[in-house]
Amino acid sequence: MAVNCYITFPSTYSAIRAENLLKQKDYPYKMVPVPRAISSSCGTALRCDCKDIFSLASFLRQQDLDLEGIYRLEESGMKMPKVEDINVES
Amino acid sequence: MLKAEHHKNNRETLNLYFDNAATSWPKPEPVYQAAEKQMRQMHGNPGRSGHTRTLEADRLLYRVRATLTALFQVKDPSRIIFALNATDALNIALKGLLNKGDHVIHTALDHNSVLRPLARLRHDGIITTTTIPCSSEGDPDLHFLEKAYQSNSVLLVINHASNVIGTIAPLNEMIESAHHRGVKVLVDAAQTAGAIPIDAEAMDLDLLAFTGHKSLLGPTGTGGLYVKNGIELKPLREGGTGSQSERDQHPESMPERLEAGTLNSSGLAGLLAGVDFIQETGLVNIRKHEVAIRDYLYQRLQEIKAVRLFGPADSEKCVGSLSLNIKSADCGEIGYLLEDQFGILTRSGLHCAPLAHQAIGTFPQGTVRLSPGYFTSTADVDYLVDALKEIISFSS
Repeated sequence: MAVNCYITFPSTYSAIRAENLLKQKDYPYKMVPVPRAISSSCGTALRCDCKDIFSLASFLRQQDLDLEGIYRLEESGMKMPKVEDINVES
Repeated sequence: MLKAEHHKNNRETLNLYFDNAATSWPKPEPVYQAAEKQMRQMHGNPGRSGHTRTLEADRLLYRVRATLTALFQVKDPSRIIFALNATDALNIALKGLLNKGDHVIHTALDHNSVLRPLARLRHDGIITTTTIPCSSEGDPDLHFLEKAYQSNSVLLVINHASNVIGTIAPLNEMIESAHHRGVKVLVDAAQTAGAIPIDAEAMDLDLLAFTGHKSLLGPTGTGGLYVKNGIELKPLREGGTGSQSERDQHPESMPERLEAGTLNSSGLAGLLAGVDFIQETGLVNIRKHEVAIRDYLYQRLQEIKAVRLFGPADSEKCVGSLSLNIKSADCGEIGYLLEDQFGILTRSGLHCAPLAHQAIGTFPQGTVRLSPGYFTSTADVDYLVDALKEIISFSS
Protein backbone atom coordinates (compact mmCIF):
# COMPACT_ATOMS: atom_id res chain seq x y z
CA MET A 1 0.00 0.00 0.00
CA ALA A 2 1.38 3.42 -1.04
CA VAL A 3 0.70 6.62 0.85
CA ASN A 4 0.92 9.87 -1.11
CA CYS A 5 -0.06 13.42 -0.42
CA TYR A 6 -1.79 15.70 -2.93
CA ILE A 7 -2.37 19.41 -3.33
CA THR A 8 -5.23 20.57 -5.55
CA PHE A 9 -5.64 24.05 -7.03
CA PRO A 10 -8.56 26.27 -7.95
CA SER A 11 -7.30 26.47 -11.56
CA THR A 12 -4.87 24.95 -14.01
CA TYR A 13 -3.10 28.30 -14.05
CA SER A 14 -2.42 27.98 -10.30
CA ALA A 15 -1.19 24.40 -10.72
CA ILE A 16 1.37 25.42 -13.35
CA ARG A 17 2.37 28.44 -11.30
CA ALA A 18 3.01 26.10 -8.36
CA GLU A 19 5.17 23.92 -10.59
CA ASN A 20 7.19 26.98 -11.66
CA LEU A 21 7.63 28.17 -8.08
CA LEU A 22 8.83 24.74 -6.99
CA LYS A 23 11.69 24.88 -9.47
CA GLN A 24 13.45 26.95 -6.81
CA LYS A 25 13.10 24.09 -4.30
CA ASP A 26 14.33 20.50 -4.03
CA TYR A 27 11.11 18.71 -3.08
CA PRO A 28 10.37 15.67 -5.22
CA TYR A 29 6.88 16.03 -6.74
CA LYS A 30 4.85 15.17 -9.82
CA MET A 31 1.97 16.86 -11.61
CA VAL A 32 -0.81 14.29 -12.05
CA PRO A 33 -4.53 14.22 -12.88
CA VAL A 34 -6.64 14.97 -9.80
CA PRO A 35 -7.51 11.57 -8.23
CA ARG A 36 -11.26 10.88 -8.53
CA ALA A 37 -11.34 10.08 -4.83
CA ILE A 38 -10.51 13.74 -4.13
CA SER A 39 -12.60 15.53 -6.72
CA SER A 40 -14.53 15.00 -9.91
CA SER A 41 -12.77 18.06 -11.37
CA CYS A 42 -10.65 17.27 -14.42
CA GLY A 43 -7.72 19.39 -13.30
CA THR A 44 -4.10 18.75 -12.40
CA ALA A 45 -2.88 18.02 -8.87
CA LEU A 46 0.56 18.01 -7.32
CA ARG A 47 1.60 14.68 -5.76
CA CYS A 48 4.42 14.62 -3.26
CA ASP A 49 5.97 12.85 -0.34
CA CYS A 50 3.85 13.21 2.80
CA LYS A 51 6.87 14.23 4.85
CA ASP A 52 7.22 17.37 2.66
CA ILE A 53 3.56 18.28 2.35
CA PHE A 54 3.26 20.96 5.02
CA SER A 55 6.51 22.80 4.27
CA LEU A 56 5.71 22.62 0.56
CA ALA A 57 2.17 23.95 1.03
CA SER A 58 3.37 26.69 3.32
CA PHE A 59 6.04 27.73 0.79
CA LEU A 60 3.38 27.99 -1.96
CA ARG A 61 1.03 29.99 0.25
CA GLN A 62 3.85 32.39 1.07
CA GLN A 63 4.07 33.05 -2.68
CA ASP A 64 0.41 34.15 -2.66
CA LEU A 65 -0.76 31.02 -4.39
CA ASP A 66 -4.28 29.81 -3.66
CA LEU A 67 -4.48 26.12 -2.79
CA GLU A 68 -7.80 24.32 -3.04
CA GLY A 69 -7.09 21.34 -0.83
CA ILE A 70 -4.45 19.11 0.74
CA TYR A 71 -5.05 15.38 0.99
CA ARG A 72 -3.41 12.18 2.18
CA LEU A 73 -4.30 9.08 0.16
CA GLU A 74 -3.72 5.43 1.00
CA GLU A 75 -3.60 3.87 -2.44
CA SER A 76 -3.73 0.14 -3.09
CA GLY A 77 -3.87 -1.13 -6.64
CA MET A 78 -7.14 -0.66 -8.48
CA LYS A 79 -9.23 -0.06 -5.36
CA MET A 80 -10.61 3.38 -4.51
CA PRO A 81 -8.06 4.94 -2.16
CA LYS A 82 -8.81 6.08 1.36
CA VAL A 83 -8.77 9.88 1.48
CA GLU A 84 -7.98 12.06 4.42
CA ASP A 85 -8.42 15.83 4.17
CA ILE A 86 -5.37 17.24 5.94
CA ASN A 87 -5.80 20.87 4.89
CA VAL A 88 -4.65 23.12 7.67
CA GLU A 89 -4.53 26.81 6.80
CA SER A 90 -1.03 28.02 7.61
CA MET B 1 13.15 49.19 -67.93
CA LEU B 2 10.16 50.59 -66.10
CA LYS B 3 9.40 49.08 -62.68
CA ALA B 4 5.93 48.07 -63.84
CA GLU B 5 7.35 46.14 -66.80
CA HIS B 6 9.96 44.54 -64.56
CA HIS B 7 7.25 43.43 -62.18
CA LYS B 8 5.22 41.85 -64.99
CA ASN B 9 8.29 39.86 -66.00
CA ASN B 10 9.02 38.79 -62.43
CA ARG B 11 5.55 38.56 -60.95
CA GLU B 12 6.39 35.60 -58.74
CA THR B 13 9.42 37.17 -57.12
CA LEU B 14 8.23 40.64 -56.25
CA ASN B 15 5.91 41.04 -53.36
CA LEU B 16 6.61 44.08 -51.27
CA TYR B 17 4.59 44.24 -48.10
CA PHE B 18 3.52 47.68 -46.84
CA ASP B 19 0.52 46.55 -44.80
CA ASN B 20 2.01 45.77 -41.40
CA ALA B 21 -0.60 47.89 -39.59
CA ALA B 22 -3.21 45.35 -40.78
CA THR B 23 -1.09 42.33 -39.93
CA SER B 24 2.67 41.97 -39.84
CA TRP B 25 4.51 39.97 -42.48
CA PRO B 26 6.88 38.23 -42.71
CA LYS B 27 7.03 36.69 -39.26
CA PRO B 28 10.37 35.70 -37.74
CA GLU B 29 11.13 32.10 -38.81
CA PRO B 30 10.72 30.64 -35.26
CA VAL B 31 7.09 31.85 -35.23
CA TYR B 32 6.14 29.52 -38.10
CA GLN B 33 8.16 26.68 -36.58
CA ALA B 34 6.72 27.04 -33.08
CA ALA B 35 3.10 27.11 -34.28
CA GLU B 36 3.65 24.04 -36.44
CA LYS B 37 5.58 22.16 -33.76
CA GLN B 38 2.81 22.80 -31.23
CA MET B 39 0.21 21.37 -33.59
CA ARG B 40 2.27 18.42 -34.80
CA GLN B 41 4.04 17.22 -31.67
CA MET B 42 2.66 18.78 -28.53
CA HIS B 43 -1.05 18.92 -29.23
CA GLY B 44 -3.12 18.51 -26.08
CA ASN B 45 -6.04 20.55 -24.81
CA PRO B 46 -4.71 22.89 -22.12
CA GLY B 47 -6.44 22.43 -18.77
CA ARG B 48 -8.38 19.36 -19.90
CA SER B 49 -7.45 15.89 -18.61
CA GLY B 50 -4.13 15.14 -17.04
CA HIS B 51 -1.88 13.52 -19.61
CA THR B 52 1.54 14.88 -20.36
CA ARG B 53 0.64 16.69 -23.59
CA THR B 54 -2.13 18.55 -21.80
CA LEU B 55 0.38 19.49 -19.12
CA GLU B 56 2.82 20.64 -21.78
CA ALA B 57 0.07 22.81 -23.29
CA ASP B 58 -0.63 24.24 -19.82
CA ARG B 59 3.07 24.99 -19.37
CA LEU B 60 3.18 26.67 -22.78
CA LEU B 61 0.27 28.97 -21.86
CA TYR B 62 1.99 29.83 -18.60
CA ARG B 63 5.19 30.72 -20.48
CA VAL B 64 3.27 32.93 -22.93
CA ARG B 65 1.56 34.73 -20.04
CA ALA B 66 4.84 35.13 -18.16
CA THR B 67 6.57 36.47 -21.30
CA LEU B 68 3.79 39.00 -21.94
CA THR B 69 3.90 39.93 -18.26
CA ALA B 70 7.59 40.79 -18.68
CA LEU B 71 6.97 42.68 -21.94
CA PHE B 72 4.26 44.87 -20.41
CA GLN B 73 6.10 45.15 -17.07
CA VAL B 74 3.33 43.73 -14.90
CA LYS B 75 3.91 41.43 -11.94
CA ASP B 76 1.06 38.94 -11.92
CA PRO B 77 0.68 36.70 -15.01
CA SER B 78 -2.89 35.80 -14.01
CA ARG B 79 -3.95 39.36 -14.88
CA ILE B 80 -3.20 38.78 -18.57
CA ILE B 81 -5.97 36.87 -20.32
CA PHE B 82 -5.90 35.54 -23.85
CA ALA B 83 -8.32 36.80 -26.50
CA LEU B 84 -8.77 36.28 -30.23
CA ASN B 85 -7.40 39.71 -31.16
CA ALA B 86 -7.61 43.34 -30.01
CA THR B 87 -11.28 43.63 -31.04
CA ASP B 88 -12.15 40.64 -28.87
CA ALA B 89 -10.12 42.00 -25.95
CA LEU B 90 -11.80 45.42 -26.27
CA ASN B 91 -15.25 43.79 -26.28
CA ILE B 92 -14.35 41.77 -23.18
CA ALA B 93 -13.17 44.97 -21.46
CA LEU B 94 -16.05 47.27 -22.48
CA LYS B 95 -18.92 44.81 -22.03
CA GLY B 96 -17.39 43.39 -18.85
CA LEU B 97 -16.87 46.76 -17.18
CA LEU B 98 -19.74 49.03 -18.19
CA ASN B 99 -23.09 49.16 -16.43
CA LYS B 100 -26.36 50.94 -17.03
CA GLY B 101 -26.04 54.69 -16.60
CA ASP B 102 -22.28 54.84 -17.19
CA HIS B 103 -20.65 57.56 -19.29
CA VAL B 104 -17.63 56.77 -21.49
CA ILE B 105 -15.15 59.19 -23.08
CA HIS B 106 -13.15 58.15 -26.13
CA THR B 107 -11.27 59.81 -28.97
CA ALA B 108 -11.97 60.42 -32.64
CA LEU B 109 -8.94 58.28 -33.52
CA ASP B 110 -10.67 55.13 -32.30
CA HIS B 111 -11.03 52.10 -34.49
CA ASN B 112 -14.40 50.44 -35.07
CA SER B 113 -13.24 47.83 -32.54
CA VAL B 114 -14.04 50.49 -29.92
CA LEU B 115 -16.63 52.59 -31.77
CA ARG B 116 -18.99 49.70 -32.57
CA PRO B 117 -19.16 48.06 -29.12
CA LEU B 118 -19.72 51.55 -27.66
CA ALA B 119 -22.43 52.22 -30.27
CA ARG B 120 -24.16 48.94 -29.37
CA LEU B 121 -24.15 49.78 -25.66
CA ARG B 122 -25.36 53.30 -26.44
CA HIS B 123 -28.16 52.13 -28.72
CA ASP B 124 -29.26 49.62 -26.09
CA GLY B 125 -29.67 52.51 -23.66
CA ILE B 126 -26.91 51.29 -21.34
CA ILE B 127 -24.29 54.03 -21.69
CA THR B 128 -23.75 57.55 -22.98
CA THR B 129 -20.54 58.59 -24.72
CA THR B 130 -18.49 61.68 -25.55
CA THR B 131 -15.98 61.79 -28.41
CA ILE B 132 -12.81 63.88 -27.95
CA PRO B 133 -12.03 65.62 -31.27
CA CYS B 134 -8.55 65.34 -32.76
CA SER B 135 -6.47 67.65 -34.95
CA SER B 136 -5.60 66.71 -38.52
CA GLU B 137 -2.26 65.48 -37.10
CA GLY B 138 -4.11 63.15 -34.75
CA ASP B 139 -3.58 65.07 -31.51
CA PRO B 140 -6.57 64.79 -29.16
CA ASP B 141 -8.00 68.04 -27.80
CA LEU B 142 -6.96 67.81 -24.15
CA HIS B 143 -8.89 70.98 -23.20
CA PHE B 144 -12.03 69.33 -24.52
CA LEU B 145 -11.20 66.23 -22.46
CA GLU B 146 -11.05 68.29 -19.27
CA LYS B 147 -14.61 69.50 -19.90
CA ALA B 148 -15.92 66.11 -20.99
CA TYR B 149 -16.08 64.46 -17.55
CA GLN B 150 -19.50 63.95 -16.00
CA SER B 151 -20.48 62.69 -12.58
CA ASN B 152 -21.21 59.26 -14.11
CA SER B 153 -18.01 59.04 -16.21
CA VAL B 154 -16.35 55.70 -15.52
CA LEU B 155 -14.02 55.08 -18.44
CA LEU B 156 -11.67 56.85 -20.85
CA VAL B 157 -10.75 54.78 -23.92
CA ILE B 158 -7.50 55.78 -25.63
CA ASN B 159 -6.23 54.54 -28.97
CA HIS B 160 -2.52 54.35 -28.15
CA ALA B 161 -1.60 55.03 -31.79
CA SER B 162 -3.71 55.78 -34.83
CA ASN B 163 -3.94 52.97 -37.37
CA VAL B 164 -4.53 55.59 -40.10
CA ILE B 165 -1.76 58.15 -39.61
CA GLY B 166 0.40 56.59 -36.89
CA THR B 167 0.11 59.37 -34.27
CA ILE B 168 0.91 58.21 -30.73
CA ALA B 169 -1.49 59.53 -28.08
CA PRO B 170 -0.20 61.56 -25.09
CA LEU B 171 -0.95 58.61 -22.84
CA ASN B 172 0.58 59.83 -19.58
CA GLU B 173 -1.26 63.16 -19.64
CA MET B 174 -4.56 61.52 -20.51
CA ILE B 175 -4.21 58.81 -17.83
CA GLU B 176 -3.35 61.41 -15.21
CA SER B 177 -6.37 63.47 -16.22
CA ALA B 178 -8.72 60.47 -16.02
CA HIS B 179 -7.37 59.12 -12.74
CA HIS B 180 -7.59 62.57 -11.21
CA ARG B 181 -11.39 62.28 -11.79
CA GLY B 182 -11.55 58.69 -10.61
CA VAL B 183 -12.12 57.48 -14.19
CA LYS B 184 -10.54 54.21 -15.37
CA VAL B 185 -8.47 53.99 -18.54
CA LEU B 186 -8.68 51.36 -21.29
CA VAL B 187 -5.79 51.54 -23.76
CA ASP B 188 -6.19 50.06 -27.23
CA ALA B 189 -2.65 48.92 -28.01
CA ALA B 190 -3.48 47.21 -31.32
CA GLN B 191 -0.88 49.33 -33.13
CA THR B 192 1.66 49.70 -30.32
CA ALA B 193 2.14 46.41 -28.46
CA GLY B 194 5.55 45.21 -29.65
CA ALA B 195 6.24 48.49 -31.46
CA ILE B 196 6.82 50.87 -28.56
CA PRO B 197 7.60 50.05 -24.93
CA ILE B 198 4.54 49.81 -22.66
CA ASP B 199 5.13 49.78 -18.92
CA ALA B 200 1.59 49.04 -17.77
CA GLU B 201 2.20 49.31 -14.02
CA ALA B 202 4.36 52.45 -14.16
CA MET B 203 1.78 54.08 -16.47
CA ASP B 204 -0.93 52.85 -14.09
CA LEU B 205 -3.07 51.42 -16.90
CA ASP B 206 -6.34 49.85 -15.79
CA LEU B 207 -6.99 47.82 -18.94
CA LEU B 208 -4.72 47.17 -21.92
CA ALA B 209 -6.04 45.41 -25.03
CA PHE B 210 -3.54 44.03 -27.54
CA THR B 211 -3.37 41.82 -30.58
CA GLY B 212 -0.76 39.17 -31.30
CA HIS B 213 -0.57 39.32 -35.08
CA LYS B 214 0.69 42.86 -35.65
CA SER B 215 3.84 44.18 -33.98
CA LEU B 216 4.04 41.24 -31.57
CA LEU B 217 4.81 39.26 -34.76
CA GLY B 218 2.61 36.28 -33.87
CA PRO B 219 -0.14 34.46 -35.81
CA THR B 220 -3.68 35.77 -36.30
CA GLY B 221 -6.21 34.61 -33.72
CA THR B 222 -3.99 35.65 -30.80
CA GLY B 223 -4.15 38.63 -28.48
CA GLY B 224 -5.13 39.51 -24.97
CA LEU B 225 -6.18 41.87 -22.26
CA TYR B 226 -4.30 43.05 -19.18
CA VAL B 227 -6.66 43.74 -16.27
CA LYS B 228 -5.27 45.63 -13.30
CA ASN B 229 -5.50 43.92 -9.95
CA GLY B 230 -8.73 44.96 -8.24
CA ILE B 231 -10.80 45.24 -11.43
CA GLU B 232 -13.12 42.27 -11.87
CA LEU B 233 -14.86 42.20 -15.25
CA LYS B 234 -18.11 40.35 -15.89
CA PRO B 235 -17.21 37.50 -18.27
CA LEU B 236 -18.43 37.93 -21.84
CA ARG B 237 -18.29 34.16 -22.34
CA GLU B 238 -18.70 31.27 -19.94
CA GLY B 239 -18.09 27.59 -20.43
CA GLY B 240 -15.45 24.93 -20.20
CA THR B 241 -12.24 25.68 -18.35
CA GLY B 242 -11.18 22.21 -17.24
CA SER B 243 -11.24 23.40 -13.63
CA GLN B 244 -14.01 23.19 -11.01
CA SER B 245 -16.02 21.16 -13.52
CA GLU B 246 -18.50 19.99 -10.89
CA ARG B 247 -19.78 23.56 -10.39
CA ASP B 248 -22.45 25.05 -12.66
CA GLN B 249 -20.92 28.51 -12.30
CA HIS B 250 -17.93 29.69 -14.29
CA PRO B 251 -14.77 30.04 -12.12
CA GLU B 252 -14.25 33.49 -10.65
CA SER B 253 -10.47 33.44 -10.39
CA MET B 254 -8.27 34.96 -13.06
CA PRO B 255 -7.31 34.09 -15.72
CA GLU B 256 -10.04 31.42 -16.12
CA ARG B 257 -12.71 33.99 -15.22
CA LEU B 258 -12.33 35.58 -18.66
CA GLU B 259 -11.21 32.54 -20.68
CA ALA B 260 -13.86 29.99 -21.64
CA GLY B 261 -13.34 27.26 -24.21
CA THR B 262 -10.21 25.75 -25.70
CA LEU B 263 -7.46 28.29 -26.23
CA ASN B 264 -5.50 28.73 -29.46
CA SER B 265 -2.40 26.92 -28.23
CA SER B 266 -0.64 26.61 -31.60
CA GLY B 267 -1.24 30.31 -32.28
CA LEU B 268 -0.01 31.19 -28.80
CA ALA B 269 3.12 29.07 -29.33
CA GLY B 270 3.78 31.23 -32.40
CA LEU B 271 3.06 34.38 -30.41
CA LEU B 272 5.58 33.31 -27.76
CA ALA B 273 8.22 32.93 -30.48
CA GLY B 274 7.31 36.38 -31.82
CA VAL B 275 7.66 38.04 -28.41
CA ASP B 276 10.90 36.13 -27.77
CA PHE B 277 12.20 37.55 -31.07
CA ILE B 278 11.27 41.06 -29.91
CA GLN B 279 13.01 40.58 -26.56
CA GLU B 280 16.14 39.12 -28.20
CA THR B 281 16.28 41.87 -30.84
CA GLY B 282 15.44 44.55 -28.28
CA LEU B 283 12.27 46.58 -28.53
CA VAL B 284 14.41 49.72 -28.53
CA ASN B 285 16.22 48.51 -31.67
CA ILE B 286 12.96 47.58 -33.39
CA ARG B 287 11.56 51.00 -32.55
CA LYS B 288 14.71 52.71 -33.86
CA HIS B 289 14.41 50.92 -37.21
CA GLU B 290 10.70 51.63 -37.53
CA VAL B 291 11.15 55.34 -36.81
CA ALA B 292 14.02 55.52 -39.30
CA ILE B 293 12.12 53.70 -42.06
CA ARG B 294 8.95 55.79 -41.59
CA ASP B 295 11.05 58.92 -41.60
CA TYR B 296 12.80 57.84 -44.82
CA LEU B 297 9.44 56.99 -46.38
CA TYR B 298 7.99 60.37 -45.38
CA GLN B 299 11.01 62.28 -46.72
CA ARG B 300 11.03 60.40 -50.03
CA LEU B 301 7.28 60.85 -50.52
CA GLN B 302 7.69 64.58 -50.09
CA GLU B 303 9.66 64.53 -53.36
CA ILE B 304 6.41 63.84 -55.20
CA LYS B 305 4.37 67.02 -55.66
CA ALA B 306 1.11 65.23 -56.44
CA VAL B 307 1.24 63.27 -53.17
CA ARG B 308 -0.63 64.63 -50.18
CA LEU B 309 0.64 63.11 -46.93
CA PHE B 310 -1.40 62.58 -43.76
CA GLY B 311 0.25 62.12 -40.38
CA PRO B 312 2.94 63.94 -38.41
CA ALA B 313 6.23 64.72 -40.21
CA ASP B 314 8.07 63.82 -37.00
CA SER B 315 8.26 60.01 -37.03
CA GLU B 316 9.28 59.95 -33.36
CA LYS B 317 5.65 60.89 -32.64
CA CYS B 318 4.33 57.91 -34.60
CA VAL B 319 4.26 54.18 -35.06
CA GLY B 320 5.26 52.97 -38.53
CA SER B 321 2.24 53.93 -40.63
CA LEU B 322 1.21 56.98 -42.63
CA SER B 323 -1.48 57.78 -45.18
CA LEU B 324 -1.50 59.50 -48.55
CA ASN B 325 -3.67 60.52 -51.43
CA ILE B 326 -2.65 61.44 -54.97
CA LYS B 327 -4.55 64.54 -56.06
CA SER B 328 -8.19 63.49 -56.32
CA ALA B 329 -7.45 59.94 -57.51
CA ASP B 330 -9.47 57.07 -56.04
CA CYS B 331 -7.31 55.58 -53.28
CA GLY B 332 -8.65 52.13 -54.14
CA GLU B 333 -7.39 52.54 -57.68
CA ILE B 334 -3.92 53.58 -56.45
CA GLY B 335 -3.83 50.55 -54.16
CA TYR B 336 -4.91 48.32 -57.04
CA LEU B 337 -2.25 49.72 -59.40
CA LEU B 338 0.46 49.39 -56.77
CA GLU B 339 -0.26 45.68 -56.47
CA ASP B 340 -1.21 44.89 -60.06
CA GLN B 341 1.61 46.79 -61.73
CA PHE B 342 4.32 46.64 -59.07
CA GLY B 343 3.54 43.86 -56.60
CA ILE B 344 3.30 46.29 -53.68
CA LEU B 345 0.73 45.49 -51.01
CA THR B 346 -0.89 48.46 -49.26
CA ARG B 347 -4.30 49.19 -47.80
CA SER B 348 -6.76 51.71 -49.14
CA GLY B 349 -10.08 52.97 -47.78
CA LEU B 350 -11.22 53.98 -44.31
CA HIS B 351 -9.16 51.45 -42.31
CA CYS B 352 -12.14 50.84 -39.96
CA ALA B 353 -11.66 54.30 -38.46
CA PRO B 354 -14.31 56.64 -39.92
CA LEU B 355 -13.93 59.38 -37.27
CA ALA B 356 -10.15 59.53 -37.81
CA HIS B 357 -10.79 60.16 -41.51
CA GLN B 358 -13.23 62.92 -40.60
CA ALA B 359 -10.51 64.46 -38.41
CA ILE B 360 -7.92 64.45 -41.20
CA GLY B 361 -10.45 65.51 -43.84
CA THR B 362 -10.49 62.32 -45.93
CA PHE B 363 -14.00 61.04 -45.16
CA PRO B 364 -15.58 59.23 -46.99
CA GLN B 365 -13.02 58.77 -49.77
CA GLY B 366 -10.29 57.40 -47.46
CA THR B 367 -6.55 57.16 -48.09
CA VAL B 368 -3.83 54.77 -49.19
CA ARG B 369 -2.12 53.62 -46.03
CA LEU B 370 1.53 52.61 -46.09
CA SER B 371 2.75 50.66 -43.09
CA PRO B 372 6.32 49.44 -43.27
CA GLY B 373 7.59 47.15 -40.53
CA TYR B 374 10.74 45.86 -38.90
CA PHE B 375 11.63 43.87 -42.03
CA THR B 376 11.14 46.76 -44.48
CA SER B 377 14.35 48.18 -45.99
CA THR B 378 15.15 51.58 -47.53
CA ALA B 379 15.47 49.74 -50.88
CA ASP B 380 11.81 48.65 -50.46
CA VAL B 381 10.88 52.30 -49.85
CA ASP B 382 12.82 53.41 -52.94
CA TYR B 383 10.96 50.85 -55.05
CA LEU B 384 7.61 52.04 -53.68
CA VAL B 385 8.40 55.71 -54.29
CA ASP B 386 9.50 54.95 -57.87
CA ALA B 387 6.29 52.99 -58.40
CA LEU B 388 4.16 55.93 -57.21
CA LYS B 389 6.09 58.24 -59.56
CA GLU B 390 5.38 55.88 -62.46
CA ILE B 391 1.67 55.69 -61.61
CA ILE B 392 1.48 59.49 -61.57
CA SER B 393 3.37 59.81 -64.87
CA PHE B 394 1.08 57.21 -66.56
CA SER B 395 -2.04 59.02 -65.49
CA SER B 396 -0.98 62.59 -66.24
